[in-house]
Amino acid sequence: MDWLTDRHYFLLAVIVYGLSMIYSVFLWRNGFRRDNRVNYLLLLLAFGLHTAAMLRRGFRLDRCPVTNLYEATIFAMWTIVAVYLAVGLWSRLRFLGAFASPVLFGIGVFALMPSLDATHGPRPELPAAWTSVHAALMSLSYGAFGLSAVAALMYLTQERNLKFHKLQAIFSLMPPIQRLEAVAGRLLVSGFILLTLGLLSGVVDLTHINNPHLYRGDPKIVWSIGVWLLYLGLVILRWRFAQGGRRFALSAIGSFVFVLLTFWGTNVLSPLHNP
Amino acid sequence: MPLVVLGLSHHSSPVTVRERFAFAEARVPAALQMLRDSGVADEAVILSTCNRVEIYAVTPREPPAAFTALREFLVTCHEYHDPLTDEIYALSEPQSVHHLFKVAAGLDSMVLGETEILGQLKKAYDLALQNGHTGGRLNKAFQRAFNVAKHIRTETNIQRGSVSVGSVAVELAEKIFSRLSDRDVMIIGAGDTSEKTARALLSRGARSILVSNRSHDKAVALANELGGRAVPFDAWAGEFANIDIVVSSTSAPHYILDRAKLDPLMKLRRNRPLLLIDIAVPRDIEPEVNFLEDVYLYNIDDLQAIAEDYLKQRKEEVARCEQIIREKAEALLSHTGRREPDGAVRPAFGRE
Repeated sequence: MDWLTDRHYFLLAVIVYGLSMIYSVFLWRNGFRRDNRVNYLLLLLAFGLHTAAMLRRGFRLDRCPVTNLYEATIFAMWTIVAVYLAVGLWSRLRFLGAFASPVLFGIGVFALMPSLDATHGPRPELPAAWTSVHAALMSLSYGAFGLSAVAALMYLTQERNLKFHKLQAIFSLMPPIQRLEAVAGRLLVSGFILLTLGLLSGVVDLTHINNPHLYRGDPKIVWSIGVWLLYLGLVILRWRFAQGGRRFALSAIGSFVFVLLTFWGTNVLSPLHNP
Repeated sequence: MPLVVLGLSHHSSPVTVRERFAFAEARVPAALQMLRDSGVADEAVILSTCNRVEIYAVTPREPPAAFTALREFLVTCHEYHDPLTDEIYALSEPQSVHHLFKVAAGLDSMVLGETEILGQLKKAYDLALQNGHTGGRLNKAFQRAFNVAKHIRTETNIQRGSVSVGSVAVELAEKIFSRLSDRDVMIIGAGDTSEKTARALLSRGARSILVSNRSHDKAVALANELGGRAVPFDAWAGEFANIDIVVSSTSAPHYILDRAKLDPLMKLRRNRPLLLIDIAVPRDIEPEVNFLEDVYLYNIDDLQAIAEDYLKQRKEEVARCEQIIREKAEALLSHTGRREPDGAVRPAFGRE
C-alpha cells in the first residue's frame, strides 16, 4: 500500500487516539469503576499505526526519525503510549489510558500541523549518531514529563474526590493518591535526568560547529536551558523542601503545559533546529 | 433420590428461636449419624451458624415425607416444645440446589454478599465428609456450590466494597496511603465502633495503634488488647506529627480538634496526608479542618453513605447472580439426571 505514507499512518493513529478520548469521557462519567479493555485495545491499535508510521519514516530516512519537530513530537508521544501499554498489562492500572488519550490526541493534532514537518537534512557538520542520541533523549524526557503530568492530573482528580467525599473516590480503580504523587515525582525526576543528558549530548554536538555565532543566543537553546531550570526548581522544591500534594501536582501539569505551548514556537525561531 | 433442605434462618426466625436449634460443632457428627440411622437420609450435612441452622440431605423418601421426618428430627434433637408456625422452611429440587448455591455465594446472608458463610459452609461439609456422611450426590452439589460462589465473586460485583463503617474507613485509608504497613493509627475515645475500626485497620496491616481516652485506665486496657500504646488524653495532640490516621469517638459535647489547633500541627508533618475519621455524635472534629491541605475528614454520615451505596450496588447485582445460579443449578440437575419442575414443597412448614 504505497499510497499510504507514514503521515497517513500517523493520521490514522491520531484518529484512533481521538476515538479513545471520546470513549474515555464515558469512563470519566462512570468514575473508572470497571476494568476497561476497550480503551486499552484502542490505544494498542493506535500504537500499532503509530509505530508503523515511525518505522516507515525511519526506513525512508535510513536513521532514527527525529530530524524535525514533527518527528520529535511523535517520538515523545510514542514513548508515552509504550509506557502506558506496558503499565496497562496490570488491569488495575488500565484506566490510565483515560487520562493519557486526551493528551495524546492533543499532541497528535499539534504534530500534524504541516509546518512542523519541514524537510531538511541533518547538518552535515554534525555527527549523525550524536544528533540522534540528542534528539532521542530530548524526546524521551518530554515523554516522561508528559506522563508525570498525566499522573499529576490523576492525583488532582482523586484528591478532589476524596476531599469532597465523592463516592467516585472510593469506587474508582485509581491507585492511592500517595502512590500517584510518588509516581508523578519519579517520572519528573527521570524526565529531568533525560533532559540533562539530552542537553549534554547537544553540547557535544555544538562542539562540532566551528562558528559559535550559529548557536549563540539560539532561541531553542535559551528555551531549553529555561525548561531545564524550571524542572530543576521543581526537583529541588520536592526533594529539598518536601513540596508535595496539590502544589506539586499543579506545578508538574503547569510546567508541561508551558513546554507544550512554547515548544513549537521556539523551534520555528531557532536557526539551529530549523535551518 | 432428591436433595432436600430443611432449616431456619434469620429470614424466617428471630435469634431467640435460632439459638435453640443451633448445633454445637462437637454434636454434629453424632446428629448426622442419628439422622442416617433413622433412614430419612442417605447423605447429610448440617450447617449451623449464628444466622442459620440447615440440614442438607439426600433422602430415599418422597420430599413431603422426608420434610416431616427431618422436622421431627430437628425438634426432637433440641427438645423444642414451643409452637412453630413459619419458622422452618423446606425445599426440594430444584429450589434446594438454588438455595445451596445462594447460601454459598452469600446471597442469602444478612450482609448481602458476605464471604464468611462460604467458609462456614465448607467447614460443615468437611465435617460431614470426614465422618463419612456424604456421598456422590452431596459431594457433587457442594463442590459445585463452592465453584459457583467463586464464579460469582469473580464475575459480579456482589462482594465488592465495604458495607460496615470500619471497613469503609479501611478502604478510605487504602485510597490515600500507598500501603498501611507503615501507617500509625490513633484512637481518641475508646468506644465500640472506634475499636472495631482500629481492628479493621490492624487486620489490613496498620503498623501501630495509639489509644487516648479520658479514662486513662480504659485507654491502657484497650491498648493492651490491641497491642498498642496508651497516650494521656491531654497529650494526644503531641503525637500528631507521627500518626497518619485518627479515629475519634469521644462523648465530648464540643469539638476536641479544630482548624486553629490542627493547622500548626500539619506543618510538622511535611505534607504527609492525614485521614481523620470522626464517628462521634456530636462531632469531635470541626468540619473546617477539611479545608487544610493534605487533611481528609470523614464523619459518620459520610461513612454510612458510602456503605449504603455499596449495599445498593450489591443489590443491583443480585439479578445477575441469580441468573448464574439458575444456569449452574440447571446444569447440575440435568447432569445428575434429576429434575422436579414442581419445585418447592412446603407441607405446613412455611418457607423463606
